[in-house]
Amino acid sequence: MSGPVRSPVIRLAWLAVALAIAGALAIAVAADRPALTNADRVRQLAEDFACPVCAGQSLAESDVPVARTIRATISILVDDGVGDDEVRSLLVSRFGTDIDYNPSGSGLTGVVWVLPVVIGGVAVGLLALAVRRWQGFRTAARTRSVLVGTVGLAVLAGLALAGAAGSRRGDDALSGDIRASTRSLLVEALVVPPAEAMEIYDRVLELQPSNVEALAYRGWAAWRGGDPGSARTDLDDAVTLDPSYPDARVFRASRRLAEGDAAGASEDLTVLDGLDAPPIVGDLVVASRLRERVADELARSGEVVTALELLDSGLIVLEGSDPRRAAAPLLAHRGWLLATTGDRALAELSLLSLDEAIALDPTDPYALAYRAVTLHLLDRREAGLRDADAFTALIDQPPELLELLVSRGILAGTGD
Amino acid sequence: MNTVRAAALGVAVMVAVMVAVLATGRSGPDRMAAHLVGQPAPPVVGTTIDGDRWDLDDQRGRWVVVNFFSTTCVPCVREHPELVAFADAHRAVDDVRVVSVAFDDRASAVEAFFRERGGDWPVLAATTGRIAVDWGVVAVPESYLVAPSGYVAAKVAGGVERADLESLLSRAGAEG
Repeated sequence: MSGPVRSPVIRLAWLAVALAIAGALAIAVAADRPALTNADRVRQLAEDFACPVCAGQSLAESDVPVARTIRATISILVDDGVGDDEVRSLLVSRFGTDIDYNPSGSGLTGVVWVLPVVIGGVAVGLLALAVRRWQGFRTAARTRSVLVGTVGLAVLAGLALAGAAGSRRGDDALSGDIRASTRSLLVEALVVPPAEAMEIYDRVLELQPSNVEALAYRGWAAWRGGDPGSARTDLDDAVTLDPSYPDARVFRASRRLAEGDAAGASEDLTVLDGLDAPPIVGDLVVASRLRERVADELARSGEVVTALELLDSGLIVLEGSDPRRAAAPLLAHRGWLLATTGDRALAELSLLSLDEAIALDPTDPYALAYRAVTLHLLDRREAGLRDADAFTALIDQPPELLELLVSRGILAGTGD
Repeated sequence: MNTVRAAALGVAVMVAVMVAVLATGRSGPDRMAAHLVGQPAPPVVGTTIDGDRWDLDDQRGRWVVVNFFSTTCVPCVREHPELVAFADAHRAVDDVRVVSVAFDDRASAVEAFFRERGGDWPVLAATTGRIAVDWGVVAVPESYLVAPSGYVAAKVAGGVERADLESLLSRAGAEG
């Protein structure tokens, strides 16, 4: 009747398994979490709560008035130093537990977290018991059916509860984190060829149809890949889902400009200026001269004031930037737009911006070339020539500026 | 054998309890329909569109209708004349006051709304998001009747009518 004698090696193996599980749980609970910025905290909190009046959308995803209002309130609370737990308590007390994707472990909602673990534990215990008995002697067929039925019931109950509990988080659930997995996929998409990246974005969007980052980057990849229809849909969806996602704004502005919608591009850039965008997004706009190109198109279509407002909006963002000379290209362009209105008084006024641009960055090719032409227009040719000479001394001479100076007769063309 | 049965029975009981709890609990919409009723009224403090400071706490001792609205919401536009009639009817006696709180709206639009459609009660329009969250407002219009004690006596989700407000007031007054 007694079971087989276990060797010390098997006992040690079981002990090692138990220690590994206990250690993993302890590390998961005690591990340091990376410090989050206030914006990250607001976004994470908004992702953890359902919009009270939407179907299947979180506060972060929805743009209905109540979601906007709650997001704004979360932002104020976080900026005021209120802790995440207090924010969660406030929202649950005001809008009910139903909106909480990660219900707390206390009270009735605690059952949601506790019961699957209890049931899982019982199931494992039963399984272990069954294995031991099978090792010792054959159990009756009935006992086996009871065990199989119990384990099956436990699995079904666990699945049902996991579904009811809403989104899972790595620090709350033992079963992994869907957000972490999509995040790693998105990081992977940045370093693979475009075709593979598109496949990754598709996979992420299968997991999370409202993943704004995947939508925005898939839209951008589609645009660069020559599929304007898909690009338009994805980028518009991304902006609708999260109007404050900076990358989507930049991508859409670029697409809109290329499609001749300078006003739409200007609107996206103006919204972008009001967002707390990461520096890399600002660098992208500067490097691509997107703002200046949009302003050019606006001015070409007679919207000079809107064009100037767009440049000014960018200058406000750069106020206090270090180095300050980052503002030089925008100031240069501002001056250029005024100089090319055909109004002499405005051309005189443009020199204020051009002078400031050159004061900030004496090697800015745009500021030098634009001031050279403007001075030429104002019959101060000698001063204009000095700027043109400074331009020609630069290593980096954008071809379009060289062409401009030649076409205005300030510099001699090649072969002259 | 007995241990196995007992464990299986335990799991079954736990699942049954869980199902029973989930099946018999009040649903979210049911809870929200009576949200705040019988509880102390959350704060309503702010500056009105006329530039005056207004605080619900200063109204202790009289009934107050707290109305959340938006100028772009059709039911809010429809209920407005009813609120005007209700406020006019109670002005002389001054037993009940109305305060409107704009929800996700621009102060300039709110000012224009009241200029065009009447209503001379206090209106809070700036930085009202926190007030709306404190009151758990999900969709305007929503109105609350606050008792002289400072407790919420009734909630109306959707547009109000003067007759309904009078009825709520007399019923709550009789109960209170």
